[in-house]
Amino acid sequence: MFRHLPALLLLLTLAGCATTTNIVIGGNYPVPLARKLPLAIGVYYPPQLRNHSYTEVADESEGKDKYVVQSGAAQVKLFNTVLPSMFKSVVMLDSPEQAATQAGIDAVLIPTLTDFQLGLPQKTRLKSYEIWLKYDIRLTKPGGERIADWAMTAYGKSPEEEKGVVTGIKSAGTVAMRDLAANFTLGFAKVPDVKDWLQSRQRP
Amino acid sequence: MIKHLLTLFACAALLVMGGCTTTRIDQFRQAATGLKTDESIVILGRREKSNYETADTFVNCVASSVGAGHDGIKVIPEKEFLDALFPFFEPRTAPMRTANLKQLMDVEQARDRIKSYHIGYIVWVDGTTQRSGNTGGMTCSVGPSAAGCFGFGSWQDDSKFEAEVWDMTTLESVGSISTNANGQSYMPALIVPIPLIARVEASACSGLGNQLKQFIAGKSG
Repeated sequence: MFRHLPALLLLLTLAGCATTTNIVIGGNYPVPLARKLPLAIGVYYPPQLRNHSYTEVADESEGKDKYVVQSGAAQVKLFNTVLPSMFKSVVMLDSPEQAATQAGIDAVLIPTLTDFQLGLPQKTRLKSYEIWLKYDIRLTKPGGERIADWAMTAYGKSPEEEKGVVTGIKSAGTVAMRDLAANFTLGFAKVPDVKDWLQSRQRP
Repeated sequence: MIKHLLTLFACAALLVMGGCTTTRIDQFRQAATGLKTDESIVILGRREKSNYETADTFVNCVASSVGAGHDGIKVIPEKEFLDALFPFFEPRTAPMRTANLKQLMDVEQARDRIKSYHIGYIVWVDGTTQRSGNTGGMTCSVGPSAAGCFGFGSWQDDSKFEAEVWDMTTLESVGSISTNANGQSYMPALIVPIPLIARVEASACSGLGNQLKQFIAGKSG
């Protein structure tokens, strides 16, 4: 009579457990087709971007099923793929101030991730996993004077069908990263303040 | 004995229900087509819509269908093309109309890369499969010595896809092919559930693939 009791107790115990799933956004990103601008760019990745992690609680009422999405490494990898295709040279900086002491840098780029949103099908009632990113991009002169500040968004989604949560979120993240690269590559020289600055450099 | 009867029932039902998909294909031709021996095509899915996106599995299926057989056409894999032309064919940046394609061909890097692939035609596939009419119910129970299900369920799948063909020499649209496939699937369960699935999307894929092959070769319409 009691032979199934241990299994039943185990099931009851597991039913009350919260699970945390770590999801690392990865992916290899293609080098964009772009005409290189004749600029030496210093780039500084703030720790908030490099180590970015976002936690989504799937069942907020009981605090169950947490998804921790780590995207910092993927974002750095993406910028490191995109920037060398856009500029004559790219120099990694440990701090924005380092640019002032390094000869030959024309401008410093500082991408800051200001918002990260994750849409799970069980919450949104949509049939896809979605990731939405918002960045503040700052371009300064080596001494720190502002050249341009602009906001940039990226969006990625992945259909829910036959994919688990982990694959769905990873896939949406990869699509969002590609969208970010597309937006940055094709939009950089069109930002009004950047455009003005580039034109001012061409004047004799 | 019961096992044998169940197997017989499942096989009979599969034979009866296997043809429950109806596929309709319409073609609209605007110009003559034809492919040179060194030319290939690329089949791309539209993914900019907010409420759905064309599944890459369907796009790959159509590409396999177009490339199969003695009259198969060389198809560049979608992923390879998207990566090679990155970032010009992403959901946000892909040309929506041939006017946008002409603008893209003014960009030296994109033009040179496209030409290196000797692409005769770009085919844009847009559509999705929707499920509706879920009816019936099923109950499954597990006991210490036995398990089983009982009930009956059914649903309808409706696939609607359109393929628009762009000529890469004239940079104009040369026509489109649309396919509409629908079918009813059933799931009777008598101890074991027996899925009798209407292969709606597969039917839409093979129909669209075969028609595309003939359209691009200039053999139809």
